[in-house]
Amino acid sequence: MPRSRWMSRPMVTAGAALFAVTLVAACGSSSSGSGGGSGGGGSASSAGKAVNGGNLIIARTADSQSMNNTNVFDNESIWIFENIFDTLYTVTPNGKSVQPDLATGYKVSNAKKTYTFTLRPGVKFSTGQPLTSADVKFSIDKARAAAQGWGYIDTAIKNVQAPSPNTVVVNLKYPWAPLLADLSLFSNGIVPDNYGGKTETAFYQAPVGTGPFKWGFWHKGQALKLVKNTNYWKPGLPHLDSVTWTDTPSDNTRELQLKGGQAQVDEFPAWSTVSSLKSTPGITMNLFPSTRTDYVLFNEKRAPFNDVHVRRAMSLAIDRQALVKAVLFGNGKPANSVFPPQVPYYQAATQGLQLNVSQAKAEMAKSSQPHGFSTTFLIPSGESDDSTIAQIIQSDVAPLGIKIKIQQLDQNTVNTDQQGLNYDMSLSYWTMDIPDPDELATFAVDPKSGAKSFYTDYDNPAVVSAVHAAEKTLSTTGRQALYNKVQTQSAADAFMAFLYYSPYAYAASSKLHGFYVTPLGNYHLENAWLSK
Amino acid sequence: MNQLSLIGRRLLQLIPVAFGVTLVAFLLIHLIPGNPARTVLGIHATPAKVAALDKEYGLDKSLPAQYLLFLNRLVHGNLGESLFYGVSARTLIIDRLPATLWLLVYATVIVIFMSVPLAMLAASKKNGVRDHAVRTIPLVGLGLPPFWVGIILVEVFALKIHLFPVDGYGSGVAGHLRYMFLPALTVAIGMAPVIIRSLRASMLDVLGADFVSTARSKGVPESRVFVRHVLRNAIIPTVTVLGINIGFLIGNTVIIEQVFALPGIGGLMIQSIFNRDFPVVQGVTIVFAILVVLVNLIVDLTYARLDPRVSLTR
Repeated sequence: MPRSRWMSRPMVTAGAALFAVTLVAACGSSSSGSGGGSGGGGSASSAGKAVNGGNLIIARTADSQSMNNTNVFDNESIWIFENIFDTLYTVTPNGKSVQPDLATGYKVSNAKKTYTFTLRPGVKFSTGQPLTSADVKFSIDKARAAAQGWGYIDTAIKNVQAPSPNTVVVNLKYPWAPLLADLSLFSNGIVPDNYGGKTETAFYQAPVGTGPFKWGFWHKGQALKLVKNTNYWKPGLPHLDSVTWTDTPSDNTRELQLKGGQAQVDEFPAWSTVSSLKSTPGITMNLFPSTRTDYVLFNEKRAPFNDVHVRRAMSLAIDRQALVKAVLFGNGKPANSVFPPQVPYYQAATQGLQLNVSQAKAEMAKSSQPHGFSTTFLIPSGESDDSTIAQIIQSDVAPLGIKIKIQQLDQNTVNTDQQGLNYDMSLSYWTMDIPDPDELATFAVDPKSGAKSFYTDYDNPAVVSAVHAAEKTLSTTGRQALYNKVQTQSAADAFMAFLYYSPYAYAASSKLHGFYVTPLGNYHLENAWLSK
Repeated sequence: MNQLSLIGRRLLQLIPVAFGVTLVAFLLIHLIPGNPARTVLGIHATPAKVAALDKEYGLDKSLPAQYLLFLNRLVHGNLGESLFYGVSARTLIIDRLPATLWLLVYATVIVIFMSVPLAMLAASKKNGVRDHAVRTIPLVGLGLPPFWVGIILVEVFALKIHLFPVDGYGSGVAGHLRYMFLPALTVAIGMAPVIIRSLRASMLDVLGADFVSTARSKGVPESRVFVRHVLRNAIIPTVTVLGINIGFLIGNTVIIEQVFALPGIGGLMIQSIFNRDFPVVQGVTIVFAILVVLVNLIVDLTYARLDPRVSLTR
């Protein structure tokens, strides 16, 4: 029977029609869609000379949460609004100091309690409204009042005054060494006085600042766009017409977007792909020095982690080189201090507790658990890096008679248990927000800071005293001596096991120039440009 | 009239379904440890700040009180405010619903255009070479994980031959057709084998029926026998299988949305679960429930349309 001929007509025709329509759409609408491109009106294409124009697309791991700079803690929000709001002082490219931004300089009183700042002339908000001291006073006052946000960073400030349009006076309760670093924090970013007549909620729906970019749009969970601020106070900048951050949680998809030209930056590619990205034509694999430090937390509320010998033994048993190799694929280095190298007053000479099995066994012999014990290692689920770390440490401490059971819970639950001191051992990390060690030091070793010494319940009065003395010591040498003491003693106490320092990994198109991430993790895009 | 009555009854059934779904979703999301304030405040949040934000969100109230508040809002058409974004949950969902609907419809269309010709081809010569080929080759698609299939399609069609974009949703009908083709094809590759096998089996059953022999003996052309008599009768059970698969697909869109960076509600659901964004999770759950009910309704209506003997009153 001729059963094959029926295939020649209706269904095949319809199927062919569907594919034809799709192919026509594929070929005929290359400029449409949300992916966008890097086009733009530059006049030169050489890598040496900056080209104006273009839309930079950054594929990032997660969406922002809010543009309210005084009470938001997630980096994906912070990195955006740092391109909208300027501060009086800003972090230097090496992340270790500050440089003038909206202020041109300052004078300090003899008692070191009054700072008088002179504002940069001719600065305007993106709306065209001139910047005045009233805007600065309003901005810092609201930052100080953010009790659930970053208000704690400004606790040393007694009040802010605006005696003339270009002068701002900051009065302190006591001499405070980290003041300029604190003022460089994004929470002290300058917004128009009284939100330019808007409510706080309405203002942060489309925030206004003096930075290189101004508000475009935000389709939540999809993309956020900033456009060039033509009133920006740095002549000739920014180069880009706009920057769009797209939300792409999948590592694979971000990499494909970069390779396919739908994005010019892949934020945080998987460590396992860094090597291949380095050799991929058209892609620059950036590893920017960072302040990220990863730690093992020991809960001193629970035995036997209240025994310093147990903590020291475990810290001495960890093979940090193996962690760097297995987790970071070699793109990092073992940590020796609670401070990372990119932080001022980091003490390179602090050896910390590095791998030494015989010494680890000796510490265990001196401990309350000379024959070992069983414990639980709490880590987030779905995080392969954390899982690898836990397994390596599990293996490292086994010769000491320590049996580790790895417990994986989702990140939110892990945070809850850490903050409630409801764990034995766990993992955490830190990245700096300001170019001064004060914030980290207080958080990490002061049990009364609200963070219970990085949620370890560690309490060494000598270390706490040194941290608070450093806050009020203005001489560099004096602060160095105090922070050396903090680093040396906290390492000896092994209140955490310092694991490794890792860089910020950003894969970018070779057409992108002037893209730089500071050790604090933030990036200002006024110097970024795209070649053709 | 029968159709209108069925539609009315099904829409009324949505009320208890939605209520049950919200109750289960509410209890499940609250059973999971962790809370939204910790997500918002970051990993280094102090307990005092977490407690203050809990109070602001109303999470310090009892669970029944929170649920009643949610229901009260729901009957007024208000899903509440996203705890993560601080904007209306309804707005978030409505913004992201079109991408998911596009994916579902586009994938279904591709599945139909893939499955029907192939099933007919296989059934045209039982146990022949093409029958074995059609039964075997698509099965590979069933066994391959969608995220892998998606990545391979992107590597080939987007990066190698630049026919389609890597990902995204596109704008306008032409943009959606172009941008959503690879995601929809990825879904279709996983779904088509089931439909092909179901339709082939049905067609083989129908091919042995008396009315087919009668049609042939009357000299009706073979192509007409296949399309008018065999396909129309064989497709009825396949519609049910397709409907069930679309129901499953609604819950599984998240994988495809992740791979192709589609701004759909599947991704919103996952993100909201991790953020403990209770109002959004509950809102998306209700939308999923409504979609499943609607797909089943469409299946029933299609069933009656294809076979007039099927009564809609039962």
